[in-house]
Amino acid sequence: MAEAVQPPRTADEVLDWLEQGRLSPAEAFAIFRSLDQDRRAPSHLRVAVRESPREQDPEEARRQRLQQALADLDALIGLESVKELVREVQAFVEIQQRRSKARLATEPMALHMIFKGNPGTGKTTVARIFGRMFEAMGVLPKGHLVECERADLVGEYIGHTAQKTREQIRQALGGILFIDEAYSLARGGEKDFGKEAIDTLVKAMEDKKDQLVLILAGYRREMELFLQTNPGLRSRFPIQIDFPDYKTAELIQIADLMLKQREYRLTEGARRRLHDMLEQRLRSGDPHLGNARMVRNIIERAIRRQAVRLVRRPQISRNDLMLITEADIEEVSVAR
Amino acid sequence: MKRCIVIGKTNVGKTLFVLQFAAYLGADRLEITFEEPGGEKRTETLSVDQAIRQLSSQEPHQTRCLQSIRLELPVGKGVKRFDVVDTSGLIEGIHGDVKVRKAMAQTLAAVRDADLILHLVDAAKAGERGVLQAVGDVDYQVAQFAQMRDAYAILANKVDLPNADVGVEKIRQEFSGHVIIPISALHRRGFKEVKRFVWRWI
Repeated sequence: MAEAVQPPRTADEVLDWLEQGRLSPAEAFAIFRSLDQDRRAPSHLRVAVRESPREQDPEEARRQRLQQALADLDALIGLESVKELVREVQAFVEIQQRRSKARLATEPMALHMIFKGNPGTGKTTVARIFGRMFEAMGVLPKGHLVECERADLVGEYIGHTAQKTREQIRQALGGILFIDEAYSLARGGEKDFGKEAIDTLVKAMEDKKDQLVLILAGYRREMELFLQTNPGLRSRFPIQIDFPDYKTAELIQIADLMLKQREYRLTEGARRRLHDMLEQRLRSGDPHLGNARMVRNIIERAIRRQAVRLVRRPQISRNDLMLITEADIEEVSVAR
Repeated sequence: MKRCIVIGKTNVGKTLFVLQFAAYLGADRLEITFEEPGGEKRTETLSVDQAIRQLSSQEPHQTRCLQSIRLELPVGKGVKRFDVVDTSGLIEGIHGDVKVRKAMAQTLAAVRDADLILHLVDAAKAGERGVLQAVGDVDYQVAQFAQMRDAYAILANKVDLPNADVGVEKIRQEFSGHVIIPISALHRRGFKEVKRFVWRWI
């Protein structure tokens, strides 16, 4: 009876085949690996894959995840220059992968990045999208994001720092390690343990380069200074992305989107009030002001103010429940 | 009980490493459990010197079964016990002798269940004859298989021999992304690093 030969489907079968001389040890390890990967999928998916292997083509699923990540990127308000760069990186990775398939020389894929920009300009959000993108493209096994800052990396006594830093690196393996206010690692001069953290990170970037993408983020000017004082770093971070401050119109769009998701709406007066307030804050030049996080605070505050305003009323219409008026915004303008 | 398994191609020095490492950790009499591919077990107690004389050799396939030794590492105020398991050498391709194949299957089963994998490669051979001669498909497959685990290190053995430095460099390039520890099983070099690595995972 002629029967199509199926590769072994359980570990025990692999071992039997090995004993029978139907597999070499190298082949056996390769099958073990694919079995392990199957096992890692959530159980409900695994059963589905077993029953109808064609329905969930992993290639197709990956393409969909990539498309979804890029769609989420496009949905972000503003950030045009950032989006362009993300697409550039995506195209670069894809072409390098195609070249490698065609057995052409490839550029080494160093994907470590520097994000420069004020707080609340979308750095973490974009980092998350990068993680999903790299996972979908097969550059990183997991694509998750581990966020940390100086306190998570730098220890209190000699030897403690390397240990803490390595722990963060371990957690980030397979994904992205995102270090906020990275320049603070260089403050405190030569004797500061921050230097040790930088050294440990640089080592991990080399040793684990296929499993880890490092993103250093922080204020533009401080990051520039940080790179100047650590000249070795610049070349290790080929991708540098500038996150510009949002324009007032973009901030209002962001506010609209946030409110829409929560099923609220701004009245015309509220919108004007918000606009004036944002303009005024942008002019003040304080980098903490005039970003998406501030807008979110204003909106959340306004939602609470609206609740207080409405709760005393005897009669509340559906429309009232949705509208954020000038008065709600006004109250926020005094609060930070 | 955590199991630390030592694998590698034939004649890379697995058995010598296991015995020397046991001695390095302070064991003077080794209680060695031999587990045949069929499942029979027997235990022998040997001194380190006796064990090296009896168990390790220049000939390939000296080790045809799993040989495990229980070891202790100081952890905090107490000790942690773990088994270090010596295995039959991995071969390329399919071996003609069913006994070797059975030993191979036993090794792979043990690798699958291991908590910690130490993968020995021959750095001297890599330096002398090129990395492609010294490591084979099976080594790459092991490395890829183990990539999904944290507790995996490549030990570049025989650094006492000439040309081994070149070999270690080549191995580092070839297996970048993995933990690589240069050692000499014969002279117990690099054992401190190995101990630290083992300590982290048991």
